[in-house]
Amino acid sequence: MSGDRESTSFGALRGQLQEAAAAFAGGPDALEGILLGLVDDVDRAVREPLEIFPVCHHSPASAVAMARRLRAKQPKVVYLELCEDMAPLLTELRNCRLPVAVQAFAGDVDGFPKEWAPLSVVAPVTEASAEYQAIAYALDTPGVELVLVDRSSDHVFQWDGRDEQPQEEAGPPREAEAALHGEAVGVEIGDLRPRFAELEEHLLRHGRVRHWSEWWHQYVEVPLGDSDHDTYRQVMFLIGSLFRRLAPGEGSRLRVDEDRERFMWTRIREHLAASGADPADCLYVCGAFHAASRVAEFGVRGDSGAFTISPRTATAWQYGLIPSSHAAIEAQFGLAAGSVSIAATEWAKSLKRTRVRPYVLEGQAGKRKSAARKAAAVPAPPAGAAADRLSGFLRRPPVLDSLDEAELLGWSVDIVRAARRSGYLASTADAVAVFETSILLAGMRDRAKPTPYDFQDAAVTCIEKDVVPGRRDVRRLVEIMMGGDRIGQVGYESLPPLARDVHDRLEPLGLRLQQRGVRRALLDMVSRPELRACSDVLWMLRRLMPHGAARPIMGEQRLGERSVQESWDLALGTHQRALIELGYEGVSIEQVLEQRLRRAAYGPGATAATVLAAVEDATLYLGSRRLADELGTHALKVLAAERGVDGAPEVLRRVRALLAHYRTSEPVLPSWIESFVKSGYAHYCTLLPTAFGDEDATVGQVAAMLGFLFGMEGLALSLGCDRTQLELAVGQSHPEDPSKTALLWAAQVQLGTLSRGELRSRCDALLANPLVVPAYPRYLSGFVHALEPVPGLADVVVEAVSNAFGRLPDAVLLPWLPLLVTTLRSSAAELAPLLIREAGRIFPGRLAALDAWVPPWRTPPVAPDARRAGPGGRAPRGAALLPAHPATCDAVAELLGCTREWTDADRPGDPGGSGGGSGVALLTAHPAACDALAGLLGCDEGWDSGGGCGSPARGAVLAGRHPAAAAAWEAVLARA
Amino acid sequence: MSELLRAPAEIKYAEELDWLESIDDGPKPFSWRLSPKMVRLFVLGSERSDGLDREVAQKWFGDRSFVERSIVTLASDRGLLLIGDPGTGKSWLAELLSAAISRNSTLVVQGTAGTTEDHIKYSWNVSMVIAKGQSRESMIPSPIMTAMESGSIGRFEELTRSTSDVQDALISILSEKYISVPELAGGGDDDNIVFAKPGFSVIATANSRDRGVNDLSSALKRRFNFVRIPVVTNKRSETEIVRFRTEELLRRHSIDLEVPPTLLDVLLQSFADLRQSAAAAGSDDEKLESALSTAEQIGVLEDAVLHSNFFGESALTARTLASSLVGSLTRREPEDLAILNKYLHGVVEPRSKEQGGSWPEFLEGGRDAIATLS
Repeated sequence: MSGDRESTSFGALRGQLQEAAAAFAGGPDALEGILLGLVDDVDRAVREPLEIFPVCHHSPASAVAMARRLRAKQPKVVYLELCEDMAPLLTELRNCRLPVAVQAFAGDVDGFPKEWAPLSVVAPVTEASAEYQAIAYALDTPGVELVLVDRSSDHVFQWDGRDEQPQEEAGPPREAEAALHGEAVGVEIGDLRPRFAELEEHLLRHGRVRHWSEWWHQYVEVPLGDSDHDTYRQVMFLIGSLFRRLAPGEGSRLRVDEDRERFMWTRIREHLAASGADPADCLYVCGAFHAASRVAEFGVRGDSGAFTISPRTATAWQYGLIPSSHAAIEAQFGLAAGSVSIAATEWAKSLKRTRVRPYVLEGQAGKRKSAARKAAAVPAPPAGAAADRLSGFLRRPPVLDSLDEAELLGWSVDIVRAARRSGYLASTADAVAVFETSILLAGMRDRAKPTPYDFQDAAVTCIEKDVVPGRRDVRRLVEIMMGGDRIGQVGYESLPPLARDVHDRLEPLGLRLQQRGVRRALLDMVSRPELRACSDVLWMLRRLMPHGAARPIMGEQRLGERSVQESWDLALGTHQRALIELGYEGVSIEQVLEQRLRRAAYGPGATAATVLAAVEDATLYLGSRRLADELGTHALKVLAAERGVDGAPEVLRRVRALLAHYRTSEPVLPSWIESFVKSGYAHYCTLLPTAFGDEDATVGQVAAMLGFLFGMEGLALSLGCDRTQLELAVGQSHPEDPSKTALLWAAQVQLGTLSRGELRSRCDALLANPLVVPAYPRYLSGFVHALEPVPGLADVVVEAVSNAFGRLPDAVLLPWLPLLVTTLRSSAAELAPLLIREAGRIFPGRLAALDAWVPPWRTPPVAPDARRAGPGGRAPRGAALLPAHPATCDAVAELLGCTREWTDADRPGDPGGSGGGSGVALLTAHPAACDALAGLLGCDEGWDSGGGCGSPARGAVLAGRHPAAAAAWEAVLARA
Repeated sequence: MSELLRAPAEIKYAEELDWLESIDDGPKPFSWRLSPKMVRLFVLGSERSDGLDREVAQKWFGDRSFVERSIVTLASDRGLLLIGDPGTGKSWLAELLSAAISRNSTLVVQGTAGTTEDHIKYSWNVSMVIAKGQSRESMIPSPIMTAMESGSIGRFEELTRSTSDVQDALISILSEKYISVPELAGGGDDDNIVFAKPGFSVIATANSRDRGVNDLSSALKRRFNFVRIPVVTNKRSETEIVRFRTEELLRRHSIDLEVPPTLLDVLLQSFADLRQSAAAAGSDDEKLESALSTAEQIGVLEDAVLHSNFFGESALTARTLASSLVGSLTRREPEDLAILNKYLHGVVEPRSKEQGGSWPEFLEGGRDAIATLS
């Protein structure tokens, strides 16, 4: 390269630099090499026949220069440094409100380590960027071709080892706006920043600026603002070269960069050869860093053939646009907060100042159609070889942007107003102070015009006091005022089919769900049955999308339960990215949900419980018998392969719910659930003895197994299971743990191998044995769990707990109480009501009654006969009762089929009839009733032959004849 | 100069200030002795790129923008209020600024609970009043009034320690820029009003830990620009500060003792650890009462240096450092001792096993000191 040095227009500059190097370093050495190398790089890039247009990201100067150059040159082909596989999406940009990011997404990876999934690459596009100008020009100008030449998203991951990526990821946790890109890897056109931390620090220190964005603004943006095309290019080449030459020699990052350059030039040459385009009619837009490349493949006449592009992996990539925001871009690329917003403001200002007409995509959302203005006179493209503009630029004193007093005044007034709205005690005096301080600060920092950053400092100085009264401090207020965070939006037309489908289906709600923010949806399915479909969609979205995207406020959906009214908080616009990424998984949410359920069910970590959960979701959200059956059959296989009992409680709960659902909604049970119950019965029978003995299996899990066995027993036996299996399993179980022992006893009671009396006496024995008493609470815990499989044992459990309170020594009782409470609250939440209800039945309801109360288990057992037989002297009461309640008597008579009238003498209230004899009279008046009753009671020896119906004494005779009937009757009446 | 225990900045750096004044060609506001850029240079030190013939040492360590904002505030209409935790260098910055701007950093009012309005305005020499009556002669002007008369910077230390009525007396000074002396009214020739000359401004400092004791009224807040000085947590600049101050200290005491850099690291690291634990603490009982500022570190080091110089073997050891750390940071018993004990056993002990170096000795010294104190 040194051979042609003298032949170019940079000779004079070289001479000067040589002298400078000699003066500083005292002779030709590395410094000279670097300085001359810089000029070489610029020279080479300038002489390249294919015009290279160096850019820097988020640089309004780049964008303005680009717009100007495009208008002047009108290139036929634009090569752009952007992942080549993103090309088809760019035309969709017109439907979006910028900033948005082009995303390449791969949920399933093939060819990359599994743990990398999902892979995501985003390339944010803002309006104030050179690349947008190039894209807008190329897409809207007929006959112009836009060729993306950078490596594909696939190569991004092929080339960048995952370990090295943190360079592009922001470390600290981000705010919601800043997290819009999710975990994606960012790619950007024109990444231009010193790679030596020391170099950056040096530049910041000497530039008297706080951060890189400010440095760039002051030392590159402003001076380049109105420069001509050649100066712009040469300066950018120089900066690119400077950062390239003053970079640490670390291999990986530079290697990737060089590979990218080889890739891009190879693609450009391929395209030139294929299309036959003249390089002079083309424009290559790339970061200034890449323009200073020294790879052999550089240039249209570069070395070709040495670099082969590796094939992509088999990973299937999906493409889409996702909303982006200034904050997200800043966070992703490590820029200072607010810098992208300030760049956007600067862009708008430079457009006004330079009167450059920018390119805007036809129909760009969020843009007002401005009346076609007359473009500023386009300077004629310079003819001939580029002259040396660099020397002049480098020798020029720092450009002082003239003070724009009106603008600064406007800012000062605005910030005071904004501060006042945020609770600051700011006044007009503060506006004056901010104005003055800005100018003074700028003066101290060697600039005539305060930059937005100076203004920010001034505002903080003058307005910020010791406390921040509101949510935002002055620094943030200035950021907002300077354009604030702008959040992009992907237009409906550019959404993936799934997202469009969701919006279409939610149309009946009449809400503007595309917009950001939370919307409240009220669904009254009674008056508007068509909203049922919307509700279905919402429930699915709730299952699929991150928390907050669709949140039910009222209403729930469970198996067999649907609300008739629902209200939802919907924030689909805010979670647009999540919705779009759902779109990569399928074309409808049903499909995505089905895929996810399958993935969950067939995944390596799936247990019977998770598969059943998937079955439940399939039934609940998709209403799909087909999928539910398929997953259910799979659950059967998973259960059979399980050796542990960890999932037993969950399995029991889910199977119960599903069984209840199918019993009420289907004419016959699905065959899979029958098989599931059948094999579950056998499965848990097999595992039962082990589980009883296994220390790792908790009592809750064993109880759930028993619950399954006893609860599903009826169904299982009807399907051909054998109860002996269960009896044998229980017989084989020999638990050592007291709680499991209690559980086993309960199971034995249920099976009938142990009577309640025996169980009671065992409990008593436990309490009576001082050696076992300390373990009594653990037995109790077993009993409480036993309520799940054997709910009928509630009275025994109440008794056992009561005995514990009554008889346990305090030393055992008190430490156990907290444990009891926590057990009841956590693991036995469903059992506690049962226990409480039973206790409520047994214990007296009032305090007063407690003194006289004797627990039922303390009362001696009463023989059933004794209880039934009434005391002998109460016979007349019954007889007296009958005439007093004639209606009752009539009813009884009618019940017995005796429809004869009362005899006058027997009429109640009849003065003639005596109270004592009326009962007897009644009986004689209705002999048939008497007979029937006697028959009913089993006394059928017939009427006394001597007795007639007319005799008053016959009643007594009757009673005498049917003494047992009389007694029984008496008892019935007494009880009534 | 050598007879002063502690020379104010304008005397200490007199020669440097003279030189800076001689080369200063920038525009100077009011009666400032240096232009704002030179003031910044004086405070923050020079760089090679400034192209000066001699090097100007950095005297205050912290963010450049704080200094710039402070200077700019003094050039404007408002007073400057430096607010921050104790030991963050507020007063030092105030002193440097007033030395650079008006070559006089001694016009100081110390705000205390006993500060009265007289301390800010003026009082009377009683015997003179008896002898000659109330006149300008028998009036004793306050430092602030002197600053007004001479057009220089007045300083008000610990503004929030003084009561509200005293604070309110500042309001009229800051807005009307004059003090009227009603006692002299009627004497003719406008003697009853003391007007401020151009260049007068006030630098106040306030301790953010004192917030709520005597809150500033919003009227006064309006007349001050607040510059919040944070605790230095950047290790590099903290090392710089400690080294700078310690050297100055050793020079002042004419002690010939070397502070090994490893011990400086131990000191900085232990402060960093303690700060971290204070940040994680839930209640006040769980953190040290000390603010753990850089000034506190310098205090610890000073204590250790003096101790080893006079009682030790004229070499600073980790043991001495540890005992002065424990001694300086223990303000409450038993809370602070418990925290330090926890720190020594939980953090220093594993580290001394892992890294060795000066840590084992540091641990030993710390244990002994705690044993002595408790």
